Amino acid sequence: MRGDPRPVMTKERRAVFAVWLLALVGSVGLVLLTLAAPALRSRSPGLSALLYAVFAPLCHQDPGRCFHYAGYPLAVCGRCLGIDIGFVLGTLLYPLARRFSRPFPPGVRAFLLISLPVSMDVAGNVLGFWSSPIGVRFATGVLWGAILPAYFISGMCELATRIPGIRNPPPGGAA
Amino acid sequence: MNEQRPRVLTPALVGGAAAGILSGLPFLNCLCCFWIIGGSMLAAYLLAKESPVSLKAGDGALVGALAGISAAVVDSLIGIPLAGIKLAVMRRMFERMAEFANEMPSGWEAWLDRSGAGFSVALFFIGLFLTAAIFAAVGALGGIIGASLFGRKPQPPQGANVAP
Repeated sequence: MRGDPRPVMTKERRAVFAVWLLALVGSVGLVLLTLAAPALRSRSPGLSALLYAVFAPLCHQDPGRCFHYAGYPLAVCGRCLGIDIGFVLGTLLYPLARRFSRPFPPGVRAFLLISLPVSMDVAGNVLGFWSSPIGVRFATGVLWGAILPAYFISGMCELATRIPGIRNPPPGGAA
Repeated sequence: MNEQRPRVLTPALVGGAAAGILSGLPFLNCLCCFWIIGGSMLAAYLLAKESPVSLKAGDGALVGALAGISAAVVDSLIGIPLAGIKLAVMRRMFERMAEFANEMPSGWEAWLDRSGAGFSVALFFIGLFLTAAIFAAVGALGGIIGASLFGRKPQPPQGANVAP
C-alpha cells in the first residue's frame, strides 16, 4: 500500500530476522557437528568422542539406525538427523511463508497432521508392529522437523519482545 | 486488563522430572529427544491449566526451557546409580558398532574402561552443563508447541460483567 508510514526494518522485524538467523546457523551447525563426529574418528579420537558425548543425551546413537560417514556412524540416528535437516529446510523456507513480520505458530491441525507420520512410525516400532528402514525414519523426521522452526521463531521472538526497547510502539505514537 | 500469570516453576519441575526419569532409564531412552519435548509440552499444559489468560509463545518457551534444565538434572542424578547398567548397554552398542565399522579406534576401549573406573565429579558437572544446555533448547521448543496446543483460553464476550 502506498504511503505506509512504518519503516521497512522495525525493531521487531530486526528481532525476527536475528532469531531466524540464529535458528539457521544453529541447526546447520548441528548437522555439521553430526557429520564431524565420524569424520574425526581417525584424526582426533578424543574430539570425536566428545562430539558423540554431546549428542548422547538426545539420541540413543544405535549404529544400526544411523547413517554412516567415513566408515563410522553419525552422532545421531537417522530420525534425529532427519529432524535436524528438516529444521534447516523449514528455517530456509520460513521467510517465503511468513517474511519477517510478527511471527505466529502454526495451527493445531497443521501440527497434528504433520506429526502423524512420525508418531505412527515411532509407535509402530516401539510396539513391535514393524521395524522401519532408516530411510523411512529419516523421511518422517524431515517432515516433522520442517514445521518446528515456525514454533521456535515465534516463541523466541515473543520472548525477545519482552526485552525493553525491542517492542515497537503501536502506530500513532502511543507509548 | 490485569494479567496475572501463574508461576512457571512448579509445572517446569513436574514436566522436567517426568522427562528426566524417562530419558534416564536405559531401555526407555530409545525415543531420543521426544521425551524432553513431551515433558515440556506437559509443563506447558500444566501452566495453561493454572493460567487465567491465554499463554503466549514466550511463556511456553520459558516453562519449556526450565523443564529441560530440570530434566537434565534428574537425568544426571538418575545416571549415577544406573551407571553400571548404562555402561553395559554402551558396551553392547560399541560391539554392534564394530560389526559396521571397518576399524574400531583403540581409544574407545580405553574410554569405556575409564568410564567404568568410577565416578568423577568434574565429568559429572561438565556432562550436566552440556545436557542442561541441550535439553533447555529442546525443551523451549516443546514448551512453545505445548503453549500453542493447550494455551488458548476462550475470550470473554464483549461487555460481560466480570467479577473482581
